[in-house]
Amino acid sequence: MKLAIDETRCKGCNLCTKVCPYKIFREGRKPNRKGTSVPELDRPERCTNCRLRNLYGRTLCGVCQLTCPDQAISWVEEEPYERKKVAIEY
Amino acid sequence: MTRTEFWQGNTACAEGALAAGCNFFGGYPITPSTEVAEHMAAKLPKKNGVFIQMEDEIASMASIIGASWTGARAMTATSGPGFSLMMENIGFAAMTETPCVVVNVQRGGPSTGQPTMAAQGDMMQARFGSHGDYSIIALCPATVQEMYELTAKAFNLADTYRVPVFLMADEIVGHMREKIIIPDSVERVPRRELARGTLPFQAGEDLVPGFPQFGKGYGVHVTGLTHDERGYPAATNPKLHADLVQRLVDKIELAPDEMADYDIVNPDAEDVFIAYGAPVRTVQQVMHDRPGKEIGFLRIRTVWPFPEKALSLFKNARRFLVPEMNLGQMAREFERHTKVPVISIPKLGGELHTPDELVAVLEARR
Amino acid sequence: MSFDDWYRQDRLPHIYCAGCGNGTIINCTLAAVDQMGWKKEETVFVSGIGCSSRAPGYIVTDSLHTTHGRAIAFATGVKMANPELNVVVFTGDGDLAAIGGNHFIHGCRRNIDLTVVCMNNQIYGMTGGQGSPTTPKGCTSSTTPYGCTEIPFDLCELAIAAGANYVSRWTSYHVKELEKAAKAGLETKGFSFIEAMVQCPTAFGRRNKFRQVADHVEYLRAHSILKAKVDRMIEAGETVPENMFVVGELAKRNRPYLGAKMPVKTETKPGAKP
Repeated sequence: MKLAIDETRCKGCNLCTKVCPYKIFREGRKPNRKGTSVPELDRPERCTNCRLRNLYGRTLCGVCQLTCPDQAISWVEEEPYERKKVAIEY
Repeated sequence: MTRTEFWQGNTACAEGALAAGCNFFGGYPITPSTEVAEHMAAKLPKKNGVFIQMEDEIASMASIIGASWTGARAMTATSGPGFSLMMENIGFAAMTETPCVVVNVQRGGPSTGQPTMAAQGDMMQARFGSHGDYSIIALCPATVQEMYELTAKAFNLADTYRVPVFLMADEIVGHMREKIIIPDSVERVPRRELARGTLPFQAGEDLVPGFPQFGKGYGVHVTGLTHDERGYPAATNPKLHADLVQRLVDKIELAPDEMADYDIVNPDAEDVFIAYGAPVRTVQQVMHDRPGKEIGFLRIRTVWPFPEKALSLFKNARRFLVPEMNLGQMAREFERHTKVPVISIPKLGGELHTPDELVAVLEARR
Repeated sequence: MSFDDWYRQDRLPHIYCAGCGNGTIINCTLAAVDQMGWKKEETVFVSGIGCSSRAPGYIVTDSLHTTHGRAIAFATGVKMANPELNVVVFTGDGDLAAIGGNHFIHGCRRNIDLTVVCMNNQIYGMTGGQGSPTTPKGCTSSTTPYGCTEIPFDLCELAIAAGANYVSRWTSYHVKELEKAAKAGLETKGFSFIEAMVQCPTAFGRRNKFRQVADHVEYLRAHSILKAKVDRMIEAGETVPENMFVVGELAKRNRPYLGAKMPVKTETKPGAKP
């Protein structure tokens, strides 16, 4: 699974950058077409839910999704061959 | 099998509600309507209904609206001061098109006024009490029999038109005891359910949408904000608001004949009394004392929306005399529907007009 | 099913400001509702007026968006008329404690089987930032430009004194604890009151020196103190600092309640005790 930020919903409040225990979310630098600076992901393969959700069958951590006031954060399945991939399943 | 009883007006009102299938009463005690609440408190639990005494009249109105949305036939009973408190939520019921019945046993006002004396001072408030434009139905009983029948009818009207319906009684009719003949059953007109797949607030020809009851999977959002046909708030859309409010008013004002309920006596008379509520009894006494065709009488039971067609049935009328226990609230409404002079006979103080008073006005004007 | 399934996807993004704590609280409440396994047809959300009360418009179940302060009265009508429905009330500090104070007290007294989630941002957000009954002393708002002179309410104390069965308080920082508290409140029969201290960056934060959303959330985290710790401090005789607020499960009782669902009849073998 990998993290996906829905740019139509994100309003750039940057709360996710403060609550992630691995500091995966970093404040965005460039505003997008709407004018919001959507957070960027720094080495998202460190996210526990991305790595282990399919193994355990339930959401792990997930504080970013609960905290985001705009419901912009979700996890999506990855395609087998993708440029940016999280990959590690123990 | 009909049976005959000797009941108080308030008791008859409660029994009429129970006969119509009322299964929720949320109220607050206030003289002179407390007996309705007490009777419902005793009888509703036996019929698997819910009686709850709320903390004030505002909560009473709120609770019956909430109950109505779960499909219950809900009612409350109050008097002048409580009626004023309920006004915001009455507007909410009108805006969200919630069927409910509010009994107002009117007493002397304004403010605390005369708790144990009658008046008819809330007639304009029933129609225009809450802020904004909307329309409601108001029925006025004049006898204990009518307290029973009109309360039952109120539930059917509320469900048909999805509107709060007021039973504007007064302390005289509420507290007097009279013979009443109870029919073995009362006709029930249920709410029209919303057809699946249609939008919750979309109305057809009759301007009344189907009712999306809570708990049936409609997923309806009910709000007092100006809403579109899906029920979602759309408060900044001018055309939407205009159309919505126009529909709320039109669904009642364009159909007054269907709700009209009046009696006509001597339509060819020149002097015509128009009365509703307790003064009907005084006019009946006058008609009884002076038999003949000289005095006409229009006895109205549905006061709002006013059945203006009834006025034109009196072709020879030279003057309309309106005895009321207020300072002419309905007389001004009748005036704007006819060119014939309307003479208001107000009476304040809590006592009913005497036949002599009415005759004196009649003689003076001739 | 995750909590995202309970949202009306066609209505998002919602009207809340960037960084508003209300969005977080709604996420946590819906996550708790989802965990309860309730069906969407059986759940009703009721709310009053205010930013917090716009929430049911974004939730996919039947919802009732009522007049200011009267949400609990409407919810009482819904629950008593049909006890099989699960009723959750969203409200705000002004809606609950100012105009709705009377209904709040009586809801707690009657112990109606409701769950009330109060998003306490200590200000009237929707109308532009006026003071509320929970605005702390000295804080600036548009109707208290010289600092608030009134002593604020402690909503949880009020709920406990009036008789609610379950009372807890958390902040918008404590998302996981709030989800568990909301679940406990939904499970508890009787009146459950969950107060969530949230940030209002536009109305409160802007006027009270919280320049970034995260500063306010950090303030909420730093000034919350667990009930267990407060109990220990009181036992040891230490004084609890004034501007801290106590978080945690503050009351869990089993007082008699109204509006319960009918118990499910189970088969008993002949001769067995019912």
